[in-house]
Amino acid sequence: MHIPDGLMDPVIALTGWIEFLVVVAVALFLVRTRVKDKDLPRIAVLSAGVFVAQMLNFPIGGGTTGHLVGGALIAIMVGPVVAILGMTVILLIQGLMFGDGGMTAFGLNAVNMAVIAPLTGWGVYTLIKPIVSRKDEKPFGPGTAIAVAAGAWASVFLAAAACAAELAVSYAISGGTYGIAATVSVPAMLGYHAVIAVGEAIITAGVLAYVWSASPSVFTREHVATTKAEGLRGILHLKTTQATIAVLIAFALALPLYFIYSADGADGLEKTMTDAEVEEGGAVFSSPFSYGESYFAALFAGILGFLVTALAALGLLRILQGVKVAD
Amino acid sequence: MRALEIDNLAYSYEDGTVALKGLSLAVEEGEKVAVIGPNGAGKSTLLHLIAGFRMPFTGEVRVHGRMLDQQSAGAVRRDVGLLFQDPDDQLFMPTVEEDVAFGPVNLRLDDVEGRVAKAMRSAGVDAIAERRPHRLSHGMKKRVAIAGILAMDPKVLLLDEPTSGLDPRSRAELISLLKGMKKTMLMATHDLDAVAEVVDRVLVLNISPVAEGRLGELAGRGSVLEDAGLEPPQLTRVFKALEDKGFKVDHLPTTMDQAVAHLIRLLERQRRGE
Amino acid sequence: MAEGLDEHAKSSWLSGLDARAKLIGILAFVVATSLLTETRLVLASLALSVTFAALSRVPPGHLAKAYMGALPFILIASVSVFLFAGYERGLDMWARTSSCVLALLVLASGTETFELFAGLRRLRMPAIITTLLMLTYKYILMMSEELSRMTVARKARGFAGGRSLLDSRGIKVISYTAGMVFVRSAERADRAFDALTARGFDKEMRGWRRSKIAAPELSFVAWFVTVSAILMLLQLGVSP
Repeated sequence: MHIPDGLMDPVIALTGWIEFLVVVAVALFLVRTRVKDKDLPRIAVLSAGVFVAQMLNFPIGGGTTGHLVGGALIAIMVGPVVAILGMTVILLIQGLMFGDGGMTAFGLNAVNMAVIAPLTGWGVYTLIKPIVSRKDEKPFGPGTAIAVAAGAWASVFLAAAACAAELAVSYAISGGTYGIAATVSVPAMLGYHAVIAVGEAIITAGVLAYVWSASPSVFTREHVATTKAEGLRGILHLKTTQATIAVLIAFALALPLYFIYSADGADGLEKTMTDAEVEEGGAVFSSPFSYGESYFAALFAGILGFLVTALAALGLLRILQGVKVAD
Repeated sequence: MRALEIDNLAYSYEDGTVALKGLSLAVEEGEKVAVIGPNGAGKSTLLHLIAGFRMPFTGEVRVHGRMLDQQSAGAVRRDVGLLFQDPDDQLFMPTVEEDVAFGPVNLRLDDVEGRVAKAMRSAGVDAIAERRPHRLSHGMKKRVAIAGILAMDPKVLLLDEPTSGLDPRSRAELISLLKGMKKTMLMATHDLDAVAEVVDRVLVLNISPVAEGRLGELAGRGSVLEDAGLEPPQLTRVFKALEDKGFKVDHLPTTMDQAVAHLIRLLERQRRGE
Repeated sequence: MAEGLDEHAKSSWLSGLDARAKLIGILAFVVATSLLTETRLVLASLALSVTFAALSRVPPGHLAKAYMGALPFILIASVSVFLFAGYERGLDMWARTSSCVLALLVLASGTETFELFAGLRRLRMPAIITTLLMLTYKYILMMSEELSRMTVARKARGFAGGRSLLDSRGIKVISYTAGMVFVRSAERADRAFDALTARGFDKEMRGWRRSKIAAPELSFVAWFVTVSAILMLLQLGVSP
């Protein structure tokens, strides 16, 4: 999912950079008091571990391989904000030192893998864990495993969906100069990553099962709650609220894309259609794609919208019921 | 002014386990002291604490007169050179020379090149200046790590198990290197043979101090060493066994030279007819 | 793998330059290139990139290998653009992406890792990020070693699974191995960080020696910025 330079439309790439810088600035602000110097080695170990894990491929059938993203793993272990920083570091090393992922495209890569993936992974996990692990006795019972797996799967799938959207919108607004058409990008990204996400779910659950049973306190510190904050702050402190916000943010990051698409997209499509007839050597596919694109875009926007609304509603419901989230 | 002064030091880990208790120690400039004891005695912890890595503690620690606390930890660290037990924890840069230079550069010392050259020579690693540290043998890695610390010109050397994991030759070389150095040294170890060669004075530690004195003298003091899970140097044990059998032994020798000298005396006495 | 980078850095004159200059110059080039759509300009950019790679004396085999790693995504993009918008656009896509990737690879290969991160810090990247970068880099080496050791130990005990996602016991063992590597590395990581601090490492990375901006650095930046500007102006001149 590492997008190289020159692939995305510059407007989209710039949007990605702006979104990323805003999110990272907020993240840095939030960790200022929470993360001490002595915490840095453990965070770096997590990043290093995920980096190494990303290099290992696992087969997903049909001769293809997939690899771990790791956003959900870090986020579930040490929280989404730290995970944002940790994943950013991984992407920086990959981009700057290995050419894996471009620099103008860094904003988008980071939004997908360092923001959307951890936020979604942690958000989904936090929201459904209390429900599914009600009957668990051990610290890592089957219910928790399901919550972790669901979070990890969703993190990869949503990141891939965002990537597909970015590619599709790039294609549409640039009239084919940049990006990949939705008819290819959406099914390819979603299909491929839906399967990879299963690997991610299994591996994330496995690693967490080990770490949490063997040495649970290695990467987390006991958060001693002092006094229960009242009112709005009290609501904001609830994990459920934070998780809901996380999921909403992940979705909101895609909104600018939609606006850009609806503003420029129609022109881009027309331009591409005329270009296709004029093009030397001709395009291999030409006419159906205008309908195809809007169909796919609508379909997957709809699915995403439904999922996000469902999760947000779930979160909202629990907040209103005053459910205290057990740590 | 003493090089190192510790007064009634106590320290516990985060989970409450007591690591050190009631520890007092004074080390003069140029003195070499060993802290010996069984595993878990707190020897490593003590060294890390003096280097400012373990806080908070009760009691006082003074390095060259400077009191160690949260604010002064950084400054104290410049004065002490901590050699980690595992050189891989310490080595970092792509070449030996750059790794040795790491400390001086970070501390912005003057004449980095001169310091680095001198330190590499002292540690005997100047011939491998361009090599990659992590491909070296364990013994060589330790030497590079030592060079890295010497380059910072610390006032006190803190050595954590310096001879562990070394083959006999490297160990002998390291011992002679340490012996020849004119630096204040505090060494945590259970290699008593090395201690005998290098060190002036010994503190037996098992969370709390057990005994203090010269190694030979401690070896003769009942079972002080054995109770602390330690074995005196082999040579010493030989003479102790002789003593138990009734032969007169003045001071228990701890090094080869002492033992040979002692044997010669005993043999001469025998030759002269007891 | 990661140490290999520093090995190659030595062979290039690039490693003598201040990292800040390299970062600014090459990033300007990459930004400019990603804005090019006119075929001739894109190919010109690619040619410049290749020339830069050749002049840098970084071992070409190493660059080729690294480029192969980035190739899959480049190909997917280029091929799908080709399918939808024709041969020329497909070629543009491939050339543009490749030019950027190559320039970045030369930057990485021609710079020592620590220098690179120190350069980023001096370019005002937040200290917590650059410190994490440094530590993560060191721990990557540490953990790859740890992982190989555990994998060998595992194989020595007859483990041969994990070939497919459906091998559930195999996957479990692999995940557990991964978990163990994390846990065992955590304590070593603390000690390694202490060791860095003991030698005066601070988050600001002050005092790092090669901190000069002299004629070579200025000419490097000037050259790349000028080239980038020219490319962009030409591009603007072509498309309204």
